[in-house]
Amino acid sequence: MAEKLDVKQGTLALMILKTLEVLGPLHGYGINRRIEETSKNRLTLNYGTLYPALLKLEQEGFITAEWRPSENNRRAKYYALTAAGRKQLAREAREWHQTADLIAAFLGARRETP
Amino acid sequence: MRYLRAALRRLAGFFTGHRQDDELREELQSHLDMETAEYIRRGMDPEAALRQARLSSGGLPQAAEAVRDQRGLPWLERAAADLRYALRSLRHSPGFTTVVVLTLALGIGANTAIFSVVRGVLLKPLPHREGNRLVYLRQSHDGPGGGNVQFSVPEVHDLRSGAKSLGGIAEYSPFFATLEGKDGAIKIDIGLVTGNFFEVMGLSPVLGRLTLPSDDGTGVPPVMVLTHEFWMRRFGGDSSIVGKQVSLNGGSATVIGVLQPAPFFPDKVDAFFNMVVSPHHLSALMIQGRTHRMTEVVARLTPTATLAQARAEVAAVYTRMVGEFKESYDPGSHYRVGVIPFKEVLGERARLTLWLLMGAAAFVLIISAANVVNLTLMRGVRREHELVVRAALGAGVARLRRLLLVENLVLTFLAGGLGVLIGIGGVGLLTAFAERYSPRAGEISLDGVVLGFTLTLSVALALLLAFVATLPKEGSFAAWIGAGGRRMSGGLRKSRLQRGLVVAQIAVSVMLLAGAGLLTRTMIQLSQVDTGLQTEEVLTMQVSLLNPARMTPAADAESKLLLDRMRQEIAGLPGVTEVGLGSHIPLGSSLLSFDLAAEGKSLAVGEAIPRGDFRTASPEYFHAAGIPLLKGRNFSSTDRAGTERVVIVNQTLADRFFPGEDPLGKRIAWTGEVLKFTPIRGDWRTIVGVVGNTQDGGLDALPRLAVYQPFAQEFTMFGGLVIRTDSNAKALARAATRIVQRIAPTAPIENVLTVKQIKDQSVAPRRLNAELVSLFGVLAVVIAAVGIAGVLAFSVSARTNEIGIRMSLGADSGRVQRMVLKEGVVLVALGLALGVTGAFLGAQVIQGLLFGIAPRDPVTFVGVVVLMAAIGISACWIPALRAARVDPAITMRST
Repeated sequence: MAEKLDVKQGTLALMILKTLEVLGPLHGYGINRRIEETSKNRLTLNYGTLYPALLKLEQEGFITAEWRPSENNRRAKYYALTAAGRKQLAREAREWHQTADLIAAFLGARRETP
Repeated sequence: MRYLRAALRRLAGFFTGHRQDDELREELQSHLDMETAEYIRRGMDPEAALRQARLSSGGLPQAAEAVRDQRGLPWLERAAADLRYALRSLRHSPGFTTVVVLTLALGIGANTAIFSVVRGVLLKPLPHREGNRLVYLRQSHDGPGGGNVQFSVPEVHDLRSGAKSLGGIAEYSPFFATLEGKDGAIKIDIGLVTGNFFEVMGLSPVLGRLTLPSDDGTGVPPVMVLTHEFWMRRFGGDSSIVGKQVSLNGGSATVIGVLQPAPFFPDKVDAFFNMVVSPHHLSALMIQGRTHRMTEVVARLTPTATLAQARAEVAAVYTRMVGEFKESYDPGSHYRVGVIPFKEVLGERARLTLWLLMGAAAFVLIISAANVVNLTLMRGVRREHELVVRAALGAGVARLRRLLLVENLVLTFLAGGLGVLIGIGGVGLLTAFAERYSPRAGEISLDGVVLGFTLTLSVALALLLAFVATLPKEGSFAAWIGAGGRRMSGGLRKSRLQRGLVVAQIAVSVMLLAGAGLLTRTMIQLSQVDTGLQTEEVLTMQVSLLNPARMTPAADAESKLLLDRMRQEIAGLPGVTEVGLGSHIPLGSSLLSFDLAAEGKSLAVGEAIPRGDFRTASPEYFHAAGIPLLKGRNFSSTDRAGTERVVIVNQTLADRFFPGEDPLGKRIAWTGEVLKFTPIRGDWRTIVGVVGNTQDGGLDALPRLAVYQPFAQEFTMFGGLVIRTDSNAKALARAATRIVQRIAPTAPIENVLTVKQIKDQSVAPRRLNAELVSLFGVLAVVIAAVGIAGVLAFSVSARTNEIGIRMSLGADSGRVQRMVLKEGVVLVALGLALGVTGAFLGAQVIQGLLFGIAPRDPVTFVGVVVLMAAIGISACWIPALRAARVDPAITMRST
């Protein structure tokens, strides 16, 4: 089994937004599975991490929530991306790429001989 | 925007959150169900699938709690819970709560009240535009009456042309006038001003206009500007006052405006007039007489000038003046000039007293805070059990500390609120007190700044209290709990802190008591000063009949006639034994003093020219006032206009001019340039009698030289009546006043006082000082006594087991009692030593407030030490007795 990682502060929100962008409206369980699968099970989320993060995004206006029947006819709360959420996703993704490039450049540097 | 929206939703969640709980539970459950179903689909049996799903969920209740935290405002919810808890816990210890709130409230109240006064009188910026650029100029010289001699018009002129750092010079001549109204006449204090006065002072009208340069000179109509205070007092704030005519000194003047509230120095002013009101002020005598000093000077520094520059320039101009006009500046009297910031001079008389009171109040607060800290420490120890249980149930140190902080905030805010109420009462009392000392008493108010001060005090105290209750480190709870939650407590560090606080309380109390003792003895010394009057059954009153602007011989003759009619009619009242007339009432300051010369006596080089007080007296005056005739003869009816000029002098004058000689038959004369501005002549006058000294101008006034002329030979001046009665002089006041009003309906009547009242007035400010500081002292001692008794009682209760063991091993109750007493006596002795040292060093500071005793008066110090020791030891006695009554059998069994 691969090494387990903790979800870094702030990155979970980005993962949720991206998941909703790719898969469309989805319930908490679906989001959870998708994140775990995408991370090849290196990330596990318990409810106490996921649901406060969803609520926070909802409070910030990036996602909306709605009760509707699920694929096997149970009631579930579906989350969907808002316009503001899309913008936020684009912005955060851009920032992440920049940061990642920067860090990669730094770590890629070789030891210089004086 | 995003944060604002999130915050608003959370705030909404705080109130509606509980309704969403069901929904949340359903959502979490559906997640669990779906996950379980997934595990079953992968081939797990249902039971194992559910277990696996639960495991990966991390716990539904925990998740629900985490969401709830995100939903509402958890800190607000916790704070509300803390507050509820604090209130409940305080309600359960009403004794503790009451003592803490009361002692703190007294401390905070005293500080709030006195800080209001200090701020209003000393600290607030002046109401004048750029008031910090105003400076007061004071000319003074040595000897009685030389403290502030004002300036003459030529002197002001020299300053104006010589001192360039003074951008403007505002001059006003303090004077008085008779204002007639429907309900009789009153004497008012006025300022005669030039047109630029208000511009330089930086003051504005609240109504109408102020004087302008066009109001200067002769031939202009007389105009009047009311001060705000006088407008309210006399005219009830009548807004239609502008443009009205008032009757003044028999003439009239037009009210042109009302001035904004503003303080004046050295004395309060009721109204301002242009110079035309007093022909004298426009005469050549006034304008050219260098020694005719009748003008107060306030100047405005130019925007670039500093105080130091102004001082240097004024000093240079003054030195030049003194060199050029030697005859106007008696070298022996050491004339000098001071440049003082106006704000500073306004607080001059109040400063020492106020800082003393502020210090005393701060001391009381320190003592009560120390007491509260001690009480909190003790209560903390008693609550250890409770805190341990809370810790065991999961409350961290931070949470416990927050609990204590909320509790202390509740306590201190209660105390602060009560303190503000006490402060409001105190400010009322203190404002009346401050009026004696400061022209700015009207600016005292309990405003936002003062409330902020109180609030800051309260919060600071709460923080302090929360952090002295030393909580154990996070890890050590286990040990605590292991000890069964009943630790035999009061660790060494804590008890050292308690003891240190008790020592400090006693030391501070001693210092306060020493101050109170010194001030009380001052008051007693002062009230025992001999006035020089042999009886107290004397009523005085001052009836100013002469119009100060028109002192003609005809007017004078008329006023003498009226006064004599008053004398005769009042003498006919039942109970009156004698009535005397004079220029001034006895014991009042003369306001008229001039240089004196004695025939055949010359001054030594550098000796100051002696000054004497001018007074007149009818033949009945001395006997009516009870002033003893020591030598020679009294005036008689033959000493009248046209006969030889004779005088009676007081003992001080006789000793000053004729030491070891018989003064009778010697001649003295008024002298100096100033005489030419007065109706008084400089002829030689023969001394025919010597009378005893009287304490004119206050019981603490220095002895003055007094010269009495026959009433009939001089101008009446202020017109004083002295009424001797066989009993209860006070009861006669009304009947006598009625007679005076009937004979002279337009004359203002002042100083209707018995000799006893005059004495009381003179002692009153010092009595109030003594009473206030004594009140603080008593408060401090009571709180300190509670403090020491409390700490010892606590120490006894913590040592009950030990005492039980000692007693069962043979210690008798006397021995136990001594043991506890010794513990207390050491603290008292330490406190006394520290306090006496502090008081000894500090006493010098209040020397200016003392009279008749040294700042290190041994009687006071010994008295204070004995008193404090007695109280301290008595306070130790109660816990000592309780220790002695410990029953060894009971304590041993309960261990």
